[in-house]
Amino acid sequence: MRTPKSPNKKMPFYIMSLPSLIMYSFFFGIPVISGIYYSLTDWDGMSKEFNFIGFKNYLHSFQDDRFWNSFLFTFKYTIVLVISVIVISLIIALLLNTNIKGKGFFRSIYFFPAVLSLITVGLIFNQIFYRVVPQLGELLGIESLQSNILGNSELAIWGILITNIWQGVAMPAIIFLAGLQSVPKDLYEAATIDGANMIQKFQYITIPFLIPMLSINLVLVVKSGLTVFDYIVAMTEGGPGRSTESIAYIIYQQGFRQYQFSYGVAQSIILLIVIVMISVIQTKLLSRKEVGQQ
Amino acid sequence: MNKTKLSLKIVIYTSLVLGLLLILFPMYLTIIVAFKTPAESAENFFSFPKQFYLENLKTVVCSDNFIYFLINSIAITVISLIVIIFFVSLCSYAISRNQNSRYFRFLHIYLLAGIFVPFQVIMLPLVKFMSGMNLTNQVGIILLYITLANAQGVFLCVNYLKSIPMEMEEAAHIDGCSVYRTFFSVVFPLMKPILVTLLIMDALWIWNDFQLPLIMLNTSSEQWTLPLFQYNFKGQYSFDYNLAFASFLISMLPIIIVYALLQKHIIGGLTDGAVKS
Repeated sequence: MRTPKSPNKKMPFYIMSLPSLIMYSFFFGIPVISGIYYSLTDWDGMSKEFNFIGFKNYLHSFQDDRFWNSFLFTFKYTIVLVISVIVISLIIALLLNTNIKGKGFFRSIYFFPAVLSLITVGLIFNQIFYRVVPQLGELLGIESLQSNILGNSELAIWGILITNIWQGVAMPAIIFLAGLQSVPKDLYEAATIDGANMIQKFQYITIPFLIPMLSINLVLVVKSGLTVFDYIVAMTEGGPGRSTESIAYIIYQQGFRQYQFSYGVAQSIILLIVIVMISVIQTKLLSRKEVGQQ
Repeated sequence: MNKTKLSLKIVIYTSLVLGLLLILFPMYLTIIVAFKTPAESAENFFSFPKQFYLENLKTVVCSDNFIYFLINSIAITVISLIVIIFFVSLCSYAISRNQNSRYFRFLHIYLLAGIFVPFQVIMLPLVKFMSGMNLTNQVGIILLYITLANAQGVFLCVNYLKSIPMEMEEAAHIDGCSVYRTFFSVVFPLMKPILVTLLIMDALWIWNDFQLPLIMLNTSSEQWTLPLFQYNFKGQYSFDYNLAFASFLISMLPIIIVYALLQKHIIGGLTDGAVKS
């Protein structure tokens, strides 16, 4: 008697699921499907008439330098972001999990960047790169830092990355910390009695317990990297030239500013396919290594 | 042995304090520059202000309808959150207790699909769709937040509900409680930890969101939220960076106050539910 069997008794459950089902279909399902449809047309977003053109938008995208440029930028950005954020947040979590005084205080300061808005943080760092870093560069005698690095098409990506890492490690660090605190203490004690050293304990006890946290964090950081938008708007607006245009940024530009609506939609669907592929690979790789599953 | 322990401790504290300074430096800069006159910060950018000069802050607060942006942000966040909590918990309960039904299994997968779909995919068609219904306003954006919160919310809540034993519900059912009554007086209270997690995650997301307000509300300034105000204020301070930092300080102030008061509950609430599910 886990669930009531007669249709009459199941009725309340159907009613309970209706608000979510209706809203989700209306404001999410319809846009996704109409997006797929628009991507096969030549609509500019304004005019009343448009034609069905098949996969031309997709083919055109793959021959478009601007699209490849933003694709490469986004991938480079995401790879550096994921590696730095995962490593730094894991180190922070390990440090915060040691026997130190003022743990609660450290934890609240380290989490603090996560509550701020990305646009404000981007604008603050924009000012820092504009006014503070050049002064530091002069002080230290490093030539490449003496002018605003956001104005340099080679270095601008690093300025945005530093900002994103500054803010982006906070949430993963707290999630890792929660994972570390869920490891039973007696496992470490038993390992110590068996003569395991610190590295062995980390490798065979800590890491398996952290795998679920690692997969949550990877999903969060990969998605935030592949869809980076706010920092770009706040810090470079895609410049200098087109050196920092992310995929999310060109989709926005083409859809709302440059009357290439259906073209932008087609590129957003390419982005979707890439994200789904990465997610599938990620879950397959990580699900094998979880605690209790060999 | 003791010596290595001591040096390890020193390394730990030094790195933690260094990280602390890295986090606090931009905040320190924001506060001091916001309170200085242009002449004073031209003299020395990093020094502490000699006196607290309030004109920058006054200009920001008075120049635009700052109080309206604050109210807009609060209203959109609070209304969305209240509806999200109810819709998500009701739907998750129905899904988790009907795993043998084809409809509910489909609904579960259908809602989870939203986790993989980046916002950019629906962004362009959504705006056409919403403006066609005259919903590019605050009502529209609340409807969208409620919708978009379903994917992650149902994911977390269904996982959590699967870990809750069903004996209590069965007892309530035998005592003659209807499904609704069982939900509101037995299940809903049991879901508190995961709902708190969800509440905090969604509150941070909606409060700080920039992209959805940018495409939905940017046309009329009466509808702006705080992040949108922050973005549009950019045009007004191109030469006066004291004013810039004053606007950063003011738009961060509400969340800083909330965080200072509730930081223990925010961090604890975020991790408690997430680890259990």
